[in-house]
This record gives sequence, C-alpha cells and structure tokens, in this order.
Amino acid sequence: MSFLPFAHALVARQDLPVPAWLFAWGASIVLIVSFFALSVAWRKPRFEEVRWRPLGAGLARGLVSAPAQVLCGLIGVFLLGVALYAGLRGTEAPDRNFALTFLYVTTWLGFPFFSALLGDVFRPFNPWRALSRSAGAGFRAIAGQRPAHLPYPEKLGRWPAAVGLIAVVWLEIVYGSSGGVAVGLDPHAAATAALVYSGYTLAMMALFGTEVWCERGEVFSVYFGMFSQLGCFGVEDGRLGYRRPLAAATHWATLPGSAAVVIASIATTSFDGAQEGAFKSAIESTFNWFADRGVDLTTSLRLTDTIFILLCFAGVSLVYLLGVRGMRTIRGAPSLATLRIGFAHTLIPIALAYLVAHYFSLFVFQEQAQFTYLLSDPLGTAHTDLFGTASGGIDFRLLSATTIWYVQVGALVVGHVLGLTLAHDRALVYWPNYRDASRSQYWMLAVMVAFTCFGLYLLSVSNG
Amino acid sequence: MKNSKAVFACLVALVIAVGLAACGSSSDETNEATNGGVTRPANGPESASMGGKVPTIVIRNGEPVGGVKQLEYDAGDEIRFEVKSDVADEVHVHGYDLMQDVPAGGTVSFDFPAEIEGIFEAELEGRKEQIAEITVNP
Repeated sequence: MSFLPFAHALVARQDLPVPAWLFAWGASIVLIVSFFALSVAWRKPRFEEVRWRPLGAGLARGLVSAPAQVLCGLIGVFLLGVALYAGLRGTEAPDRNFALTFLYVTTWLGFPFFSALLGDVFRPFNPWRALSRSAGAGFRAIAGQRPAHLPYPEKLGRWPAAVGLIAVVWLEIVYGSSGGVAVGLDPHAAATAALVYSGYTLAMMALFGTEVWCERGEVFSVYFGMFSQLGCFGVEDGRLGYRRPLAAATHWATLPGSAAVVIASIATTSFDGAQEGAFKSAIESTFNWFADRGVDLTTSLRLTDTIFILLCFAGVSLVYLLGVRGMRTIRGAPSLATLRIGFAHTLIPIALAYLVAHYFSLFVFQEQAQFTYLLSDPLGTAHTDLFGTASGGIDFRLLSATTIWYVQVGALVVGHVLGLTLAHDRALVYWPNYRDASRSQYWMLAVMVAFTCFGLYLLSVSNG
Repeated sequence: MKNSKAVFACLVALVIAVGLAACGSSSDETNEATNGGVTRPANGPESASMGGKVPTIVIRNGEPVGGVKQLEYDAGDEIRFEVKSDVADEVHVHGYDLMQDVPAGGTVSFDFPAEIEGIFEAELEGRKEQIAEITVNP
C-alpha cells in the first residue's frame, strides 16, 4: 500500500537523486572554499556601504515613473484576477488550470529567482499594493486629506510575514498533498485561499498603511523583497540605480522577525526536499501512529506533515542560534540580540540556493506549460485556444539529469560562498580586531557548512 | 590563535566525518535499492531482442499487488512492462504522457524508448492510484 502520495500536484517528473560521487565532490569543494575564504579574508567591511548610483537619466526615471507604476499595477491586478477566475471557474485538474501553476510556480518560485537578479521586481506588480494605493488616492481626492493609520506595533516586525510564508507553503504541500490520493491542492481551494489572503492584506494595508504593511506583513513583498537585496539594482529617491551586489542585504534584517523569515524559507524548502527522501520513514511512522489511534487518514497526514514542517523550522533556528551563541563567547562580542539580528541576512544566499537546488527543474519544465497550454486555455476547458498554443506541452528533454545535478550542487556551493562573504564582512563590523572577527567566524562557518552539507544530503537521498 | 586553529581543525574533521558517513549511507541505500525488488533489465539495445522477461504489474481490486512497482532503466533502454488489471481503467505514464485503456480482466503492454531522464509515476488515471515508479538514469 502506498499511503503517502506525491506532494506536488503539478509534477509529472521528479529529479533523480544526486549520485554519491557528486555529493562527495560538492562537499569537498565546500570545505576547500571555506578554508580559502579564511586565508584570503579582507580586514575592513566592504558591503556595509551600498554605494548606490543612478542609472542613465531616461532609464532611471522612466522605469519608475508614475505611468509605468500605474501600468505595472494594472498588469498585476489583471493577472491576479485571471488566476482567481481560472481557479474558481476552471477545471479541477491542477495541472490543466492556470491558477495553480501561476500562483505556486510562476509567482512563488519565479520572483525569488528574478528578484535576486533584477531587484525588487514584484513591488510595482504587487496587485494588493496597487489596489490599496488607488484606494488611498481616491480617499485623498474625496476627503482632501491623507487617510489616518494605526501605528504598527513595531515589536511584531516581520513576524506576520514569517508566519504567512509557512502558511503559503503549508497550503500547497501539507494541506494540498493530504487528499489521500495523488491530486494535491485543487485550483478551487488555491483561489479561495488567494481571495481570503487578498481581503486580509487589503484590510491590513488600510489599518497600518500600504508601505508599512508591504515592508513588514505582506508575505509576498517581504519574501521576494528579501531576495532582491542580493542583487545590484535598487530604487532610491524615485530613481533606479546600480548598487554593490549583496550590499543592500546588510541593512535588511533590522526589523524584528527578519531572521524568522529567512529561516522559514530554508525550513520549508528543506521539508519539501526531505519529505519523500530523508524524512520519509519518520513521516510514515508518525503518520501510522496517528492512524493507529483512530485519526482519519487525511487528518493524520496533515498533522504529521505540520509537525515535521514546524520541526524543520525549529531545527534550522536551532543551528543558527547555536552559531550565534558561539560567537558570543568571543572577546568583545556584542549582545546576543544584536548578533541574532546582525547575522540573519547572511542566510539569504543559502535560502536562495536551497530554492534553486530544489525547484530549478520544476520551474523550467512547468513554465513551458505556463506559456503554452495554460496561457491559451487558462480554464483547462480544452475548447479555448487564445494564443494558438493550447496544443503545446512540456518537453522534458530540455534538461538532462546531469545538467540538473550540476545546477543543484553549483547553487549550493555559490550560496555557501556568498553566505560566508556576508558573515565575515559583518563580523568585521562587530569586532574591530581582525583576529577576533576571524575567530568568531569559525562559528558561522560551521553553521554554513551544516546548511550546505544538509542541502547536499537532501539532494542525494533517493526519493524511493 | 593556536587554540582556535585546533578548534577549527576539529570542526573540519567533524564535517568530513559527517560527510563521509552521509556518503556511505547514501551509497548503501543505492545498493539496497538495486538489490531489493527492483527490476533492472540488462543495459543496451540487445536486451529487447533477447526477449528478457517483461515485468508485469498485477492490479487486484484497483491496487497494485505487492505495492508500487519499482522499474529502473538507463537512458536509451527500451522500457517494457505489462499491466494486468481486474478493473477497467486508463493506465497513464506521466512525463512521457502515454495512455492506454485496460479493460477489466485485460492486459496492456507498454514498449517505449527511455529518452527522458528522471523519476516518473505510472497510475490508474481514473482511480488516481499509483501503480509503478519508473526511474530513468542518465
């Protein structure tokens, strides 16, 4: 009997586990790189200054001008509308409905990748921000004054986004995978959830102000915005500019709960990678424990997966906090709270590397569906062909298994290097004495090696 | 400084040990997978012409007898298997997107080249019941 179904409704093909020889190579390169990082380390912080400078005048202003913002906002609202309509009115087959692929693959996986490369591209397209800003403009036009907002409880910081991030993933891979059959999240449920989320987001924006909520509570803005800090394009004073890569990230984690956001990202990706491999037998025995006590099968599976996703969050937090606690033992260390906030941004490259390693192939394959039959036949009726691409499909030969392996291992190694770079740089801020700074970094090195090797391990465990 | 170097050396040793252990265990698993219940036809095109035994997935009460059948091939092999079912349904091989109707009490056979690498599910489409997992190695 196979109790545990596939997690992803959309996946017709799963990646092969990374072979042992490549795992060994990957782990060795990580260690060599780490040694190298220690020996060539620089002595003055290099990334604390963002060094932003505007791009050529026309481009810098044109891309962020008011008409461009209105246009992008309209596109965002229109696409959300299409996804909601397709989800509510279209076919219940997850792989034939525009909604699921658009929300969970194109948006949820696409924006982290492109934000890291191009900057905060989600911000102009954010449909809730666009709606809320137009409502605000309408209010000003009628009432002749700015809408009043409640002060945001600053202690909450980004915690609402961290909780929301886990909820978004939970909906897809825990709630959705628990039907007892290999169906996964149905488009109707996804669209309903998106509607509920829209209502909640607009209400919060009205209460606390659009930009305040985008910066702290709006899951998608916070999550994609986090990855955009790595890239070299950013907007300042209404102008688009070029900045030192990675540098903006050093100022990202200042709000409370930021560490929880990046940890939630690593934890949910880990859970998804491990549930059919590394954690499979543990999940099965927990599931059986519930089932044996008379809990119905669907609830048992959802309970089990929920427990494991929370365990992943606890585990990743623990490793990070141990590293932080270790740094506290170095002479002249700042307070534990300062360290905990101060090194959170060093995990952003690791989170991105995990995403690339786990979802790169899914993204490449599923986007072929997005731009062929899902675009031309969004409801999956088999009668519509808007752009003449309804008969297209996914060519799984586009990527060989070997290519996927190299991208996966390469992503983890690069993420490791970037994480180490940011951590060393931050240590130089806290420990003016170069030797103390280096010694503090043995701890972060251990944290990074742990995450990277765990990532490699997840990839190498058979899904069977 | 000496002290911290020693700490670091210990740390590296630990990481290497963990790495090797993980390597060891993952290669163990691979061995287990190839020995335990996996049908693995001989490599090369000649295996098809030699008429080696074609694996059969028996469906009883809409479920595969003995659990989900594990089939493993190398890219370029000929994937051949039969499905013998006591219920009428459609057999769907995902990824390759091949479908065949099987009548109650009937048998259908699949024969196609392993040209897409990865892990694929074969299921009874109507019942959403997975019956085989097909692995194609590079």
